[in-house]
Amino acid sequence: MEQLTEKVGAVPDRRLLAGGASPGPVIEVEGLNVTYGDFPAVKDLSFQVQPGELYALLGTNGAGKTSALEVIEGHRPASSGRVRVFGQSPTDRAATRPRMGIMLQESGFSADLTVAESLRLIGRLSGRSDRVDRVLGVVDLTRKADTRVAQLSGGERRRLDFATALYGRPELIILDEPTTGLDIQSRDALWEAVDQLREQGSTIVLTTHYLEEAQQYADRVGLMHQGTLRSQGTVSELTRALPAAIEFSLPQGAPAPPIPFATRDGGAVLIETFELQRDLKHLLDWAEVNMLELSGLSAAPTRLDDVFRDIGTTPVPATP
Amino acid sequence: MFPIAHSEFIQLFRNRAVLISGLIMPVAASIYFIYNRDVFSQIGSIGFVGALLAFTIAVFTLYATTVTALAARRQSLFLKRLRSTAASDPAILAGLVLPVVGISLVQVSFVLGVFAVVGGRPADTALLVVAVLAGFAMMLALGLATAGITNSPEHAQVTTLPVSLGVIAVASWVGITGTESLAALKRALPGGAATELVVNAWDGAAPLGDSLLLLAPTLGWVIVAIALASRMFRWEPRR
Repeated sequence: MEQLTEKVGAVPDRRLLAGGASPGPVIEVEGLNVTYGDFPAVKDLSFQVQPGELYALLGTNGAGKTSALEVIEGHRPASSGRVRVFGQSPTDRAATRPRMGIMLQESGFSADLTVAESLRLIGRLSGRSDRVDRVLGVVDLTRKADTRVAQLSGGERRRLDFATALYGRPELIILDEPTTGLDIQSRDALWEAVDQLREQGSTIVLTTHYLEEAQQYADRVGLMHQGTLRSQGTVSELTRALPAAIEFSLPQGAPAPPIPFATRDGGAVLIETFELQRDLKHLLDWAEVNMLELSGLSAAPTRLDDVFRDIGTTPVPATP
Repeated sequence: MFPIAHSEFIQLFRNRAVLISGLIMPVAASIYFIYNRDVFSQIGSIGFVGALLAFTIAVFTLYATTVTALAARRQSLFLKRLRSTAASDPAILAGLVLPVVGISLVQVSFVLGVFAVVGGRPADTALLVVAVLAGFAMMLALGLATAGITNSPEHAQVTTLPVSLGVIAVASWVGITGTESLAALKRALPGGAATELVVNAWDGAAPLGDSLLLLAPTLGWVIVAIALASRMFRWEPRR
């Protein structure tokens, strides 16, 4: 990882180079609609991504995040609404692509080219400059430089995908399911590289099914469901709206717990609370006074998974 | 455009199936036609053999390889990958077809050159060049259009058949029977006017002005094929 830090960290912060002035949003999405025939895949989506931010766009299957992302990437026209990347239309490739790296959800390489040839080609076409050997080193594909893409494993192809996105250290990197198919070491290395890029000022837009990654790395999260943006904010803002959980079992004949909102199913007790620390202490004090054993005791703060499940089960508000 | 063309050139020579079917077979067929030129010139003319040679390269090297390569690049999402870069759509397409256009032009120059040496020089070389270029432009445009309805390289073996067989059949029909009967129909069919142009250029059978008029139907097919391609060509696989 030291080697990785050294390789990635050689470039000064672009925001500082820009004069330190407060720049506008890197991505602006206003009232975006994407429809396929009569089916509305994305409905009135609006959000902004600020410079240096890691924004995670999450959603249930079919939520519309890939359609939204494809408009931002310039691969798909918007049915209506406005999308700007660096203040430009994302379909203006000459203006936007030299500043943005895209890691596609699916591979998109030619099987008959080698790893180095593929990276060199995409790198040259991106309008950015870099050294192929440096980038292959970051994604640990140096030994595979002369291997044809057809002979790579799925994980190695994902790393090559990532290499094309970070080639030339772009200001904006879009990562579409970046760690799918990667082993744990490769995942860690990828996030290490992302951290280094962020230290240099790169802005990251992420979609992932691994919610723990979004929870750990995202500055802000947008949660999509059935084409609409249902929630947006920092992880703590999103999880604040749902109670944490304390679970344990009581022996038969034990008195009722002293905390309201407890549900009891035989001996099993679930307490949902917005004051986890206070209620847990209260509960433990009560158990000690009554000499009760709280078997299987667990106390967990609200996680992004819980917010995600909550959104998946809440009906979409009717459009006025 | 040129980095794409360079990578495409590498891929053409690394793919054994494309190398054999698109590059070696047309030359082998051309050698057969040249070797048996007396037989073919008896049923048509020496210009007919020239037209057969030109269209063999145009159909099997240029047209079929263009369709197969574009379908393969789309199926593997390579086209989508290229569109993730700063390259424009015209530059991407130009880069993708440039190698096969270059190879087919080298092939046809070599094959017709050999035929001119062993079978006799064409009466009007400049007209022959124009005729071949017009025919190649038509086949390239038809290749872009056909690629729009072709899902995979395997599918290309089916989708290229109508145009491939049709153009060879029209070239043979025009080359063998001439255009004294059904002239309008023969010239209107794809490859018909271009074949007559090649025959005239080689045999010197018609005034230059009359021959140049034959460019119109061929260029008309170029325009039709480009219009079809612009409507039918897709950058990503159908979902």
